[in-house]
Amino acid sequence: MRVEADATADVTMTVNGRTVTVTVAPRTTLSDVLRDRLGLTGTHVGCEHGVCGMCTVLLDGEAVRACLLFAVQCEGAALTTVEGLGTAADQHPLQQAFSHHHGLQCGFCTPGMLMSAYDLLAGGTYDPATLPEDMSGVLCRCTGYRGILAAVDDVARTHPDGVPPPRAAVPPALVGRSGSASVAATLTSGVRESTGSPTEITVPSGPPTVTVEVRSTLSSPVEDVWAVLADPARLVACLPGAAMTEDLGDDRYRGRAVVALGPVSLRFEGLAHVVERDPAAHRLRLLAQGTDRGGSSTQAVIRLAADPDDGGGTTLWADADVHLSGRVAQFGRALAGDVSRRLFERFAEAVDEAARTGEAPTTRPSPLRLALSALLARLRRLLRRQRPR
Amino acid sequence: MKAAPFAYCRPDSVDEAVDVLAGGDAKVLAGGQSLVPVLAMRLGRPGTLVDITRLPGLDSLVVQDGQLHVGAAVRQRRVERSAEVAAVPLVARALPFVGHRELRSRGTVCGSLAHADPAAELPAVAACLGASVVVRGPGGERVVAAADFVTGAMTTAVGPDELVTGVRFPVAGAGEGFGFAELARRHGDFALAGVAVRVRGEAATLAAFGVSDRPVVRELTLDPDPTEAGLRPVTDALAAEVVDTDGDAHGSRGYRVRLLGVLAAREIVRAHREAHR
Repeated sequence: MRVEADATADVTMTVNGRTVTVTVAPRTTLSDVLRDRLGLTGTHVGCEHGVCGMCTVLLDGEAVRACLLFAVQCEGAALTTVEGLGTAADQHPLQQAFSHHHGLQCGFCTPGMLMSAYDLLAGGTYDPATLPEDMSGVLCRCTGYRGILAAVDDVARTHPDGVPPPRAAVPPALVGRSGSASVAATLTSGVRESTGSPTEITVPSGPPTVTVEVRSTLSSPVEDVWAVLADPARLVACLPGAAMTEDLGDDRYRGRAVVALGPVSLRFEGLAHVVERDPAAHRLRLLAQGTDRGGSSTQAVIRLAADPDDGGGTTLWADADVHLSGRVAQFGRALAGDVSRRLFERFAEAVDEAARTGEAPTTRPSPLRLALSALLARLRRLLRRQRPR
Repeated sequence: MKAAPFAYCRPDSVDEAVDVLAGGDAKVLAGGQSLVPVLAMRLGRPGTLVDITRLPGLDSLVVQDGQLHVGAAVRQRRVERSAEVAAVPLVARALPFVGHRELRSRGTVCGSLAHADPAAELPAVAACLGASVVVRGPGGERVVAAADFVTGAMTTAVGPDELVTGVRFPVAGAGEGFGFAELARRHGDFALAGVAVRVRGEAATLAAFGVSDRPVVRELTLDPDPTEAGLRPVTDALAAEVVDTDGDAHGSRGYRVRLLGVLAAREIVRAHREAHR
């Protein structure tokens, strides 16, 4: 194969257990793809020529410098970044030890230190006598080496039979009916149109970014509410900013959802799959997944339940485990939780209207525009902090 | 620190790779651990990079006919962890000094030879052991002796239209002993001075690196029971002769001469002891 200097190539690789395809020029480094395309900014970039070790990630299980690899070289590679090592809620033992031993000060080298330390301990060649040399591939300019070495040594001692694998190893495919269980979701990034879109949904194995639980009291009787929930076309029409674009059969649907939030506008293309329907109990469970061209992505497990209440109306329960990755994850848990909850509240109102009229909602809910001043203020602070210096 | 634009080529065969190289303005990309920093700093702007890491046949690592064959796509860390490397103890001893783990997981043995940094470990090991470098070009394959391979700082006998496809290190014989040492400001950095030593009977072969524009090989005849103190006059004189570099911020010329004299005496004694176990 040959890719001209001004041309691009599609590169498919696995990042933290998920298959992604990116469109890159030959000179695009892996570190830039991880950060700028996939939004995995945990991988830091320091010197950009292989000296400092900030960008250390695991490639096919071994620590490498992401700045010394061009993404075109990574076709078929399996990568693990610090985001895959552990999460805030489910830290890898190395992360816990770094915290316990004060193995970080400014934190800039921490992702590189963690990935290098993982590689050392997983390699089975740990020797406390040569630990300083073995960890010399990553620089700490705070010079906080003692805490770092103490943390690595601690984990080596507490895990004599080997350090646990990264938390986000290949996630279990909850929906995998095409015969190939290993096929994970494909996340498309760059300038490419999402041709060859995925038809399977993978929900990450770790804890969700946000959990949403909304309970709404609707005036319509439960059978009318269920009629809306059970009809995919009407159900989607009740979701703010959402549209169904294709019925894939087998209770699977392709669609899009737009979320606009101040200056932010994310347009998610994705899939939904109703995995459980219980007409008698009025229960519905579905998996949803969406990808924005900017590299943000979301997966959600959504449970909807309608129960009759005493006054002839309905109590609608909606709860969701929402996983966010890429840039959207930088919004932080609180903001993402607020947005998701607001979205479900609007959804419940629309369901009530649809149930009353027996049609799709007449006033289609527009893309979610949050005028909540508190949220916008928080968002502005966030954007200001991230403006390039 | 972004490389200038280049075309990327991943050929399907060694012949195709040679064809692309013959087209001009192309560089071989194997591990890239030395090449990519050069590109990032825009010290080089090749028009095309030829990725040889997936070429069939270049990933072989075998001991055959008294030689350890290392293909051009074989990464340093694979060699380090392999059972085969035990056949050539000097390679095993030198590899942990090559960069850091994170670099050896990508860097290749042949790439280190082809890059020919004056302070690099593997060219010195190849020179000390009398290894052979296999080179393929438009005219077919040729074998270059390690002594003739490095022709100057970062310059080798490999032509711009040629490709190193492998290296053959002679397997250690009975009664051979080895020594390897280097001193760097930080582990993994290039050495201020270093030595690779092979002793067979009372004959010592010493390759010094980091002190000239290429590995410098000298033969010595040892006393039956050499000691470090007894060897120092010899190695100090040798060091004064071979150190051919001006001092820099990391060490003066005089410091490097003294360093090389000490390291050489120490490793010769170690190798001799090993050879006469």
